[in-house]
Amino acid sequence: MKKLILASALTLCSISASAEVAVIVNASNTSNLDADTIKKIYLGKSKSFDNGAKVNPVNQNGNSVADEFNDKVVGKSSSQLNAYWSKLVFTGKGTPPEKLDNDQAVLDFVAANNDAIGYVDSAKVNDSVKVVGKF
Amino acid sequence: MKKLSVAVAVCAALVSSYTSAEVRINGFASIVGGKSLDSDSTLYGYDDNISFKNESVFALQLSADLQDKLSATAQIVARGDNDFDAEFEWAYVTYEFSDELQLSAGKMRVPFYRYSDFIDVGYAYRWVRPPQSVYNIPFSTYEGLSLLHNTQLGDWDSTLQVIYGGFDGEIDAVSANDKAELNNFAGINWTMSRDWLSLRAAYLVAETSFELDSNDSTGAALNGLEDILRASNLTSLADDIAIDEDNSTFIGLGFSIDYNDILFDAEYTQLEVENSILAEQSQYYASVGYRLDDVIIHFTYEDNDDKHDSSRFDKIQAIPSLNAAVNGALEGVRAQSNVYTIGARYDFHPSAAFKIDFSRFEDDITDTETDVIAVGIDLVF
Repeated sequence: MKKLILASALTLCSISASAEVAVIVNASNTSNLDADTIKKIYLGKSKSFDNGAKVNPVNQNGNSVADEFNDKVVGKSSSQLNAYWSKLVFTGKGTPPEKLDNDQAVLDFVAANNDAIGYVDSAKVNDSVKVVGKF
Repeated sequence: MKKLSVAVAVCAALVSSYTSAEVRINGFASIVGGKSLDSDSTLYGYDDNISFKNESVFALQLSADLQDKLSATAQIVARGDNDFDAEFEWAYVTYEFSDELQLSAGKMRVPFYRYSDFIDVGYAYRWVRPPQSVYNIPFSTYEGLSLLHNTQLGDWDSTLQVIYGGFDGEIDAVSANDKAELNNFAGINWTMSRDWLSLRAAYLVAETSFELDSNDSTGAALNGLEDILRASNLTSLADDIAIDEDNSTFIGLGFSIDYNDILFDAEYTQLEVENSILAEQSQYYASVGYRLDDVIIHFTYEDNDDKHDSSRFDKIQAIPSLNAAVNGALEGVRAQSNVYTIGARYDFHPSAAFKIDFSRFEDDITDTETDVIAVGIDLVF
């Protein structure tokens, strides 16, 4: 029993020490983005940056970075998020952000597109993109 | 024919766009099995034999961004209770004037209720089926226009929709196959949401005509009564039985709360087709739920009350037999019932949910009860 408790304590530690998520935009993007705006972008409620340019958000595909981001920034579980988007998709009211497979794909996409926003494990961030928030 | 042409036009738009646009395919499905626990009464289409067909649905949606700000969408739905024959239930094109304003034209859902737009997408709500005492209008689509305005008002998200169009088709309302036609069908609905609270109000009007099926016993009886009244020169009474270009109004009010894993929803609706055999209807439901990680348990109470105002009775006391026949017809459409549903939803997969609902329907007029149990799996893909 004690071992089990120790094991679960360790698991908890490893979760709380898990990767910090960095929200990134193209290096040329000068928009101000706070957590609330990022959440609105990822829920399809905000569709443009404050300079008026259309925002092009990308998600990650069901991995731990995505779970972390959904939990900390969007505040919904992946099931709740799926239910949320199904209400919009099947009524023509919105389209969820495209899903990319991993951090590198997001870094490449954001570096290549002026209007992009994405999120990656903050340890993976490089100079090709600009960090607008860490969660 | 008209409906087909809308569908074909949207398909043509989807197909012709393949060189320049990305076509997205999404879908949803519900596989539901259920049965009535009573051998002599049916509810939601279930008798005492288990059916996996009755409430199962499979749907595919194709959408294409044609070019700047223009998109085309078609949703093909196959229903078990229609032998899984695939039909276009949505087929429309949308033009986005801005981030906040879009106009759609084609075949779409009528926004009667809070869950109308995604009524078939079981994954989007907690019940096996939305409360049927309220969700009881026997058609759900229209052909026409929809103007949608989304904006932020302070901390509130506001969604305002205005629709205009018409509906014609066969529905199961008075007789089994009423030929229904709704013209000048117009409506407005407004949803305001903020954090854990969402409020909605809807108002729709139409000019409604039904041609009742004479092969159906109710249809034949009402058509016969109308004919006798006309033959007796009781034109205005005959007009009050007929459903012919009658002004109709629908009012819907609702709210939902999702606070600290406590869920609370309610909707109230009222429907009137003036000067017709159709009774004035008012119904509501209230539903509470509790979310425990991936499981939601819920309880729902529904109430339905359909009746004619007392002023509609005893109009021709000079002719007792006819008076009794009219009274009988008016009384015949009366309905009063309650439903209690207890159920659970389990999100066992990021794109799939398992559900089980037990519902008890109480008919206050016949003083009978019917129990139905249903289990289902809802998917989105």
